[in-house]
Amino acid sequence: MTVETSRRSFLKLLPLAAVFASIGSAAFRFLRPRISAATDAWLDVAPVSELAGPQPISRKIVAEQISGWAITTEEHNVFILPAKNNQVVSAICPHEGCEVAWEQNTNRFSCPCHESYFAADGSRISGPARRGLDSLPARVQDGKLQVQYISTEQATRA
Amino acid sequence: MRSDNDIYGWLQTTTGIVAVLLLVQFLTGVLLAFYYVPSVDHAYTTVSFIEKVVSSGSWLRSLHHYGSQWLSIFIFLHVIRLFLDRAYAANRIQWIVAILILGLVMAAGGTGYSLPWDARAFFSTRVAEGLMAGLPVAGGLARVWLLGGSEISPVTLSRFFALHVLVIPAVIGTVVVWRLFRAKLTEGIADLFGPRDAIAGSVVFLVLALWALKYPAPLGPPVAEAGADYLPRPGAQFLWLYQSLKYIPGGLGSVVGVVLPGIVLAVLVALPWLKRQRLIAGLLLGIGVVLVVIMTTASYLSDRRDPKTAQQLSRQTAQEEAWRRQPFQPATITLAAASTSGSTAGGPPEMYTKFCANCHGSQGQGAQQGPLRFPPLLDVSAKPHRSVDDIVSLLKDPTNYGLQPPMRSFSTKLTEEQMRQIAEWIVKLGQD
Repeated sequence: MTVETSRRSFLKLLPLAAVFASIGSAAFRFLRPRISAATDAWLDVAPVSELAGPQPISRKIVAEQISGWAITTEEHNVFILPAKNNQVVSAICPHEGCEVAWEQNTNRFSCPCHESYFAADGSRISGPARRGLDSLPARVQDGKLQVQYISTEQATRA
Repeated sequence: MRSDNDIYGWLQTTTGIVAVLLLVQFLTGVLLAFYYVPSVDHAYTTVSFIEKVVSSGSWLRSLHHYGSQWLSIFIFLHVIRLFLDRAYAANRIQWIVAILILGLVMAAGGTGYSLPWDARAFFSTRVAEGLMAGLPVAGGLARVWLLGGSEISPVTLSRFFALHVLVIPAVIGTVVVWRLFRAKLTEGIADLFGPRDAIAGSVVFLVLALWALKYPAPLGPPVAEAGADYLPRPGAQFLWLYQSLKYIPGGLGSVVGVVLPGIVLAVLVALPWLKRQRLIAGLLLGIGVVLVVIMTTASYLSDRRDPKTAQQLSRQTAQEEAWRRQPFQPATITLAAASTSGSTAGGPPEMYTKFCANCHGSQGQGAQQGPLRFPPLLDVSAKPHRSVDDIVSLLKDPTNYGLQPPMRSFSTKLTEEQMRQIAEWIVKLGQD
């Protein structure tokens, strides 16, 4: 193939490049992920009067999020720590995101996936997790403990 | 074979135009699949999302929508050009590939029209159903195979989706690759797709791109909201069929709409091996062109001439424009509940959890909130005046049943059906 013919065969594709470029740039905008802002709704966890004792209390909250074309509602487990002034921690293990469970007999949280352990105050004891359980923003309103749900990924970024 | 320097050389670029339009259909189709969900409860929402929220979504969908119509027209012109060139004798593969692609592109258009699951799509699916049902001998069988059951259902949409995005594109791709492979062996790729093809294809794309920018693809009301007076219209490439069906009685429509086109395509594919090729193809294509042109024109004219129809169609256009300005309505999805929640079979209805569980407990066990003690609902059906009907009326007017605030009326919060669901769930509590 001579230089002349190869240049010609390149040039002939030039109009096609315009087709690809216009669809390509639209494709980039089209596929760009939409980051949904964390919802700042305060979710009821429990009446404060129910919260007492040395044991963490397991509760479920239902968090709503706008994700793409849907509003998703998802149930999350949280633990209230009455011994720590009703601090609320997420049950999501800060290692890889499995859900930790409270073990009453050993008095610690354990993660079923990779054996991370956390003390009753949420702090890390051992295992691959690099930090303690993430605490969630909490407040007391009208005698009820309320939290804002923040996912582990968002907590890590923060 | 190719003449280089006259108008005839430019007329031969239908190959390039068809190739570019096919490529555009593939690219835009792949992109739409990144958001589209082929399910009857999300198809319309996801298409609306593409139209209203996603950047460039409306343009890409319009490219895909009108691209399919333009592609049908240009592949038809391409076949006529090949006929004039006597390609059926000179280059069998080229001829057969063109006919196959014509059939496949029409099939892709037919199946794709159902996917947005708006009223227009639903009626198009109905017509496809009717065309199958009217087929001689195997009509009933063809119908249930197309629908995937005895009625149009969620399964039907999945079938149209699988045909539209998997089966048909795969067959088209195979045919195109086969064609390119044969071209490499014989005439050479450069002769198949030359600089003029690239230019012609790009110019057609440019016009299509501007068209799509100006005219968004139509999206009718969702099936449930379409009134009885809704007038569905097919895509431009099927207007000839739509109009023909008006003149043909009953099941004969299937013969005209499916059997005859099928036979014509089969004969055209077999043409290289037939005698009197010029006569057969000339007749078939001639009749085809006349039928398509007359019927398409007739359908435009009849929509314009009948004042009632014209009025309704313009009302629909206005409704679509109004819909376009409304904000996007997201769907609501409940993701998997937290893993440790022991989900019991026959759990509470969603509305119970939303409105009742706060006081009466998530499983009807009751609750204590400060000084207030909320009664459990277990074994409530054992008490007098607590049948399903009673509970429904109680939810509407609790004082009538001697109940005190904070129990309040839910007649404005819940529908009759939701109250009934809650009541039916409550009477079963504690029975086991």
